[in-house]
Amino acid sequence: MTLAAQNISLLLGDGDAQAKVLDDVSLQVAAGEMVAIVGPSGAGKSSFLAVCGGLRRATSGTVAVGGVHLDQLSDRELARIRRQRIGFVFQQSNLVPSLTALEQLLLVSHLNGEGTRGKARDEARRLLDEVGMGERDGRKPAHLSGGERQRIGIARALVGNPALLLVDEPTSMLDQARGHEIVELLTQQCRAHKVATVMVTHDPSMLSVVDRVVRLVDGRIVHEGAAS
Amino acid sequence: MFLALRDMLHAKGRFGLMALVVTLVAFLVVVLGGLIFGLIKDCVSALQELPATHMAFENSTRPDYQNSMLDKETWEKWAQVPGVKATPIGHSLSNARDAQGAPVDIAFWGVVPGSFAEPKVLEGQGLATVPNAMIISRKIAMDKGVKIGDTLTIDRVLTEFKVVGIAGPVAISHAPVAYVSLRKWQEANYGPPGGAPPGDTLPEGIFTAATTIALLVDPDQQVDLAKHDKEIGTKTMTKERSYNGTSGYSAEIFTVQLMQFFLIATCVVVLGAFFTIWTVQRTAEIGLLKALGADNSYLVKDALSQVLLILVVATLLGVLAAYATTSAFEARGSVFELTIGNVVGSSLLLIGAGLLGAYFALRRIVKIEPIIALGRDR
Repeated sequence: MTLAAQNISLLLGDGDAQAKVLDDVSLQVAAGEMVAIVGPSGAGKSSFLAVCGGLRRATSGTVAVGGVHLDQLSDRELARIRRQRIGFVFQQSNLVPSLTALEQLLLVSHLNGEGTRGKARDEARRLLDEVGMGERDGRKPAHLSGGERQRIGIARALVGNPALLLVDEPTSMLDQARGHEIVELLTQQCRAHKVATVMVTHDPSMLSVVDRVVRLVDGRIVHEGAAS
Repeated sequence: MFLALRDMLHAKGRFGLMALVVTLVAFLVVVLGGLIFGLIKDCVSALQELPATHMAFENSTRPDYQNSMLDKETWEKWAQVPGVKATPIGHSLSNARDAQGAPVDIAFWGVVPGSFAEPKVLEGQGLATVPNAMIISRKIAMDKGVKIGDTLTIDRVLTEFKVVGIAGPVAISHAPVAYVSLRKWQEANYGPPGGAPPGDTLPEGIFTAATTIALLVDPDQQVDLAKHDKEIGTKTMTKERSYNGTSGYSAEIFTVQLMQFFLIATCVVVLGAFFTIWTVQRTAEIGLLKALGADNSYLVKDALSQVLLILVVATLLGVLAAYATTSAFEARGSVFELTIGNVVGSSLLLIGAGLLGAYFALRRIVKIEPIIALGRDR
């Protein structure tokens, strides 16, 4: 399994303000599989995504990505796993304002110590072409539309061929038409790159393209099954 | 530098303003450094040029060149100490007039002709050539146009001296030095105005006083200066420490150094504040970079490289501006003097202080959590 999350519990806050955000959640995702996590606001969807991506440590339970147990790693090692094995697509695309579209992708190669020329540049250009942004590689985020920024965010998440892609409500900031384009693009890229994908979404159109749907309520899985 | 450079180009207005502030601070720090060095030279260059290791003063709590007085017996005792060469020096601040009656402020020094205290002349001859011989600082020659062969008359006592030699541009307490024989100095300082009456001689008693004794201690011999000091009844200190005994030296240097310190402190605070605000503004971006796999050391190094780049470029610009300004001042004979060591020292101090200020601000980077990349507190 590319992602193996076992009995994840997460407590946030202290004393009387402490809340159980995740309660004994387990999920396995294989390479090339797409899983959607749905549920009402505050159900713990994004918290689960954060724990799977090593952005937050679980209070109990284990998370393994490609066989590496994240809960046993130092912060520095976690950072290394994030840049080498995990790709993130954020709700608001989260691009660096000072970098052009091409440089957003080169940044990941640079963080990986692979430099920004040669193969790294070729890969970045190829990915930009795949998401239809090859012609706009010199533009900075301020000069791109929301949909274009999200496309670049998807391309950036695929730099270095990660094993796991974690996607946080990728269409929530887009109109229906743009959202539909992004859904198609994500599906196509995940299938093409055979990457295990976990996607938090409120968007019903996403559910028809994934392999499995997991429903979280109050931090617990209440339903898990094939997409309808 | 991948991110650092691009961030700086993206926010060039903010970084440009910051660099301008650092440039101005660097300019002032270097100019003040030049002023300190110039003041030191103008206050004590005559002592710096004196080939002595120590100076002996009258025993008092705060010995100084103006108020110390020693007798002949004292310097003769010092001259007998094995491993020590001793020669008396008379020091006073006087007014003189050239042949046209124009005033010339001088530090009036009496030295024993032929002793190690007699200055080396750049032009002309030594003090032993004629009875009323005077060697003048090059500053007098340059500023007042006094030449070899001209006469200078000391005010009040009206003793007339003939300029026989020109030494380097030495000064003490901002007054250029005029050297005469110790005997003539004693006559001018302790004798009656106009010298001895015709056909009469001055009492020998006036020729037994000097201000200080220059000591040249042989470093190969273990001379117990403290013991001899106690026995002879003087207060001896290293030549460098004796600079504090020249009028105004300590206060002037302290004032300028205090200004320099506050400028550097200002640079620390300004850079610290700038990078604190910059880091706070970049919080979301730093969280994103951490989520993408950047670790703390990468992010801190990247931010410090921005600080270093600003500091180095701005300091270079400040140094260039300071050189241009002080060159203009030096041409007008002011006390500024820039040396490579002084400029490099001031620049490194500024860069080090700036890095320190920024470092404390950049520690915030470590505390930023990657979770914020998800946009909300999950």
